[in-house]
Amino acid sequence: MKLRFGSYLPLSASVLAVLFVTWIPAVAQSQGSAKTGAIPQLQEIKALPKGGPAPRNADGHPDLSGVWFPGVTGDGNLNDAGLAGDYTRARQSFDRKKTPEAPYPFQPWAAAKYKEMYPSDVEIQLHSPAVNCTPRGVPAMFVWNPYPIQLVTTPGQFVQLNEMDVDFRIVPTDGRPHAKDPDPSFHGDAVGHWEGDTLVIDVVAIDERTWNNRLGWFHSDQEHVIERITRPSMNYLTYEVTIEDPKVLTKPWTSPPYTFSLGHEPLQEFYCTHTEERTQFSELKKKIETK
Amino acid sequence: MKHVLCGAAVTVIGFLVLATPTFGHHSFGAEFDAKNCHNIAGIFTKFDWSNPHAYFYMDVKDDGGKVTGWTLESISLSSLRRSGTTRQDFIAATGKTVTVRACMAKNGEPRASAEVLTMPDGRQLRVGNAGNRDDGGGGVY
Repeated sequence: MKLRFGSYLPLSASVLAVLFVTWIPAVAQSQGSAKTGAIPQLQEIKALPKGGPAPRNADGHPDLSGVWFPGVTGDGNLNDAGLAGDYTRARQSFDRKKTPEAPYPFQPWAAAKYKEMYPSDVEIQLHSPAVNCTPRGVPAMFVWNPYPIQLVTTPGQFVQLNEMDVDFRIVPTDGRPHAKDPDPSFHGDAVGHWEGDTLVIDVVAIDERTWNNRLGWFHSDQEHVIERITRPSMNYLTYEVTIEDPKVLTKPWTSPPYTFSLGHEPLQEFYCTHTEERTQFSELKKKIETK
Repeated sequence: MKHVLCGAAVTVIGFLVLATPTFGHHSFGAEFDAKNCHNIAGIFTKFDWSNPHAYFYMDVKDDGGKVTGWTLESISLSSLRRSGTTRQDFIAATGKTVTVRACMAKNGEPRASAEVLTMPDGRQLRVGNAGNRDDGGGGVY
């Protein structure tokens, strides 16, 4: 059974997943009905309304400031769910049917390497930089991040605070060029400018340890990332990213638009430090590597 | 066997693509079996309120009366709080008999990824989405 990176799963997988998602709410509810007390039902998704126009800063650009959650509910309540198959839509940042993701254009050597390193999803997960709480980097801090982010935009500056790993970046948005030969870093060398109502952040020199998403899409030191962020209304933020990598990809790749919704709660502390339970996990990893 | 493995892998991958998970740190799919989820009842003995996963521990008695210590992994602290489960709830559960719905460790050890914790008074608390991994971003995770 071949796993094609970046592509849709076969229908059978979707059907299996949907069936399983149906089963869990049914089981939870049948248990609850036998008991008294409040039950955290898997509740209907309540997508936020648009909320009117986005606020603007003194320079006339949209103010992107806010605490933003992936998806449409503006919160991180795991009880948010709809009926079977809709469960994921509460937290899903893009609609796979309406705006599917284009296949990732690995060069042949990169596609072969990917297949060799990650023959199944288990290997992807075991080798994920997330295992060691490595910073997500760019664009993963938007596209592979289930936790809220806080943005602050002031004239000339974009500040991003990531709850996950208590991480931040500050990007100048005054149109300045990149530094000459910047050192690699997890967040890269990032400079921004406005194109109409869209903030465009151009990023180079990204540490090669980052993955572009949870699927293990690796990159080279020549990767060039262009982020486009806009706030179409008060309650929504849209993020789109283009990735160019002449060493790894045959052509540039652009993501679907990712949706974030406005939260009304602060970021929480999330230092990724608890490691005692990892023993079993490392043993499992060793077992798989020595097979 | 190949067919079964293929089906199992496809199911796990199905979750990971359709679900928007919160596991965040290490792999649910490598350690736990999304198809082997059921209730466990026992005494909630203690807990670790920490990131990236909170843990709680149960003494579970089998039909023969033998007690085994179980380790239950829950989601991150912020996800717990945002889903209505608090540290005070874990304090209240300590020493009491509870039931937890969880997905079992693949290696057969007494470990599981917990989803719903039922308190002695019947309240059900979300402590994970073991069967519906929430990965955040891009429709997967």
